[in-house]
Amino acid sequence: MLKSFYEGMKKSAEEECQKRPRAWLMYVIQMTSTLLKAFEDDAKVVWTTYYSFPMELLAAFDVVPFDFEIGCNLLPGVDPKGCVDIMTKAEDRGYSIDLCSFHRLALGSYFLGYFPKADLLLTTSHFCDGKTKANQIFAQYYGKEAMMLDVPNELSKESVAYVSNQLQGIAHKLEEVSGHKLDFDRLQECVRASNRARIAYGRLGELWKTKPFPWDGSRLCNLSIIGNMFSGTPFQEQLYLKIIEECQQRMAEGKVAPEEFRVLWLAWFPAQRTNINEIFRKNKVSIVMSELARVYWDELDEANPFEGMALRCLKNPYVGSIEQRLNGVLQLVDEYDVNGAIHFSTTACRHANASVRVINDALISRGIPFLDLDGDMSDMRGYSAERTRSFLETFIEVMAARK
Amino acid sequence: MENAKPKIGWLCAFAPEEIAMAAGLFPMRLSGGGESAAVADAYIYSNLCPYVKSILALGLNGETKHLDGLVFVRSCDGMHRLYDVWRSYVGTRFAYMLEVPKNQDEAAVEYFAGQLRKFARALEQEFGKEITLESLNKAIKTTNQMRTQMQHIYQLQRKLPLPLSGSEVFQLGLEGLSMDKKSFIAKLKKYYSDARSLAKQRGKESKARVLVSGNVIDRPDLFNIIEAAGADVAAADLCTALRYFGHLVDEDSGDPYLALAHGYLSKLRCARMTGLNERLTEIRELVDAYAVDGVVYTSVKFCDQHLADAPYFVEKLKDEGVAVLFLENDYTWGTRGQLTTRVEAFVEMLDSRRR
Repeated sequence: MLKSFYEGMKKSAEEECQKRPRAWLMYVIQMTSTLLKAFEDDAKVVWTTYYSFPMELLAAFDVVPFDFEIGCNLLPGVDPKGCVDIMTKAEDRGYSIDLCSFHRLALGSYFLGYFPKADLLLTTSHFCDGKTKANQIFAQYYGKEAMMLDVPNELSKESVAYVSNQLQGIAHKLEEVSGHKLDFDRLQECVRASNRARIAYGRLGELWKTKPFPWDGSRLCNLSIIGNMFSGTPFQEQLYLKIIEECQQRMAEGKVAPEEFRVLWLAWFPAQRTNINEIFRKNKVSIVMSELARVYWDELDEANPFEGMALRCLKNPYVGSIEQRLNGVLQLVDEYDVNGAIHFSTTACRHANASVRVINDALISRGIPFLDLDGDMSDMRGYSAERTRSFLETFIEVMAARK
Repeated sequence: MENAKPKIGWLCAFAPEEIAMAAGLFPMRLSGGGESAAVADAYIYSNLCPYVKSILALGLNGETKHLDGLVFVRSCDGMHRLYDVWRSYVGTRFAYMLEVPKNQDEAAVEYFAGQLRKFARALEQEFGKEITLESLNKAIKTTNQMRTQMQHIYQLQRKLPLPLSGSEVFQLGLEGLSMDKKSFIAKLKKYYSDARSLAKQRGKESKARVLVSGNVIDRPDLFNIIEAAGADVAAADLCTALRYFGHLVDEDSGDPYLALAHGYLSKLRCARMTGLNERLTEIRELVDAYAVDGVVYTSVKFCDQHLADAPYFVEKLKDEGVAVLFLENDYTWGTRGQLTTRVEAFVEMLDSRRR
């Protein structure tokens, strides 16, 4: 079912792209092509976490990266009711409704036989407890090994060495899975590609500071997560450059949508179909940046790629104390001259939501309106369109009053 | 004497009290006592582990003023963020986040040993007492004595019929988590010496035996419910029972930090650690060692780690013929009536299997 869904997505993006080649369509085609490769018999499929695992390492082995969270959470945007049926399969097997809908949807997809095979299951400890746990459960169901990159909560010489050594251990495992030795030159090439993409991403981020905002806020949020699946490949840089080109063209042609309010988006953007974009369009609100789209890492050290990748993990805004995250948020508030910030608190995301009060207070003390918007990423049973409308419209009024 | 020392609270069984003791401190577990924590909802996300919220509520209500410090462990997302919120809205003289690896291999042990040294330096700096090799080894010995003494009692519980009340043993352990070690060791010795007469009082009636497995339980309600339903609790694989008392640390080692790291990372796994099957194996071993007829697997609400494990464990154990009851709880054991009905049905099933 997922396979045919990706095939349909790819086909319609290709048809559209024939008529009008656009960066977003290129992105959809590349994403679905990668996901579809996971279903090929001879593919070496490594399950992973696009946002937090160093994808350059997987790119160096030419294995197919598959992120079960992303793989099935493309569905809620198209068929929210069908997704409830899938989640129910997991709930019927005893998985609590208090677990993240991303993981219930993934477990349900597994029970229905929607997923591709797995040759190795990798994840990181700094994404969330639910993901690491689901990864281990899937490994049992598939009878394959689960490896967790344990990323400590502190940045030090010792933690860099600890993470770097684990990455080297994972590289050995990838040698077994892929059937070939690590080619260090190839890894350096992937790191170089990633560094070039980082520069292009930074340029894109600069462009997003333009008033009015020249792109699409919900796509920005999507790209900040799924775009990482291409880290280490030349496509990532090409994609960012193409988006830059299109934004510049739109600006030159005066085709940018009018803007009254600029908003910084915190945490995740719903994967399911919502009325958020409609409300924003009507009220001329632009999401101009997402905290997850911030370039928080330094250029990876090509000479020491394992250390470079370890450092990036350790500098992730969700690692460490809240200050690490908060400083990034405050930096974006200043740089993007926003009228307000919205934190989307998906029901079960303890690591994003638990200390949101600290962020709330820090922003309010700076005179930045803040909204903690409750909802659910993928489960329509946990999302109320009317409630969201009421919260967002009130928030827009607050921003208007402060202007 | 112990009471005169600065007090340092701890929240997770991965926090090594030995280091705090060597720094001249009185370590004590901070417990929400299984009470509800509505006041915390204004400061921390409401869909969060009720234990975490209960700790925050204690702080917000000014009930942690007796503490000179608090040690957090990055045991889960909830605890990680409690540290943030605590520093922002409660504050203590000393608040420390101890990094504990989730892996258990040698690299993780080495890294953890380094974190323990760092923790020791932070305590020395804050409380002004040097931690020497001698003082740390002495603290390790004392803590080992306490754990060994408790393990003697656990060992008795392997006998048929169960010699001591499971709820009483659990309650004894709970009290010990906040007592000074010497007094607690004395109490354990006394209890152990009384065991024969206590067993005599309980009689020879053979009842269904249950293993309680889960995360944090801070009041004996579940044990009481199981006993009232006519079964015995032979063992408790909990953060407040076997996972605290079940391990020892190498004494007189040249590197006590490494010994502590090894001891703590090799204890009975909690759901935060990697190794789902290894944890299942440990539960199976407890089932055999304590000759239990069934397992009550319980988790506080919103604990992603334990809640996610539950269906897999239940399925696997049932496949192997082990009776399992999964109970989600709210930490206060507030839905007692419903729980009682489910436990009674489970015990009835265990009894029918034994016939």
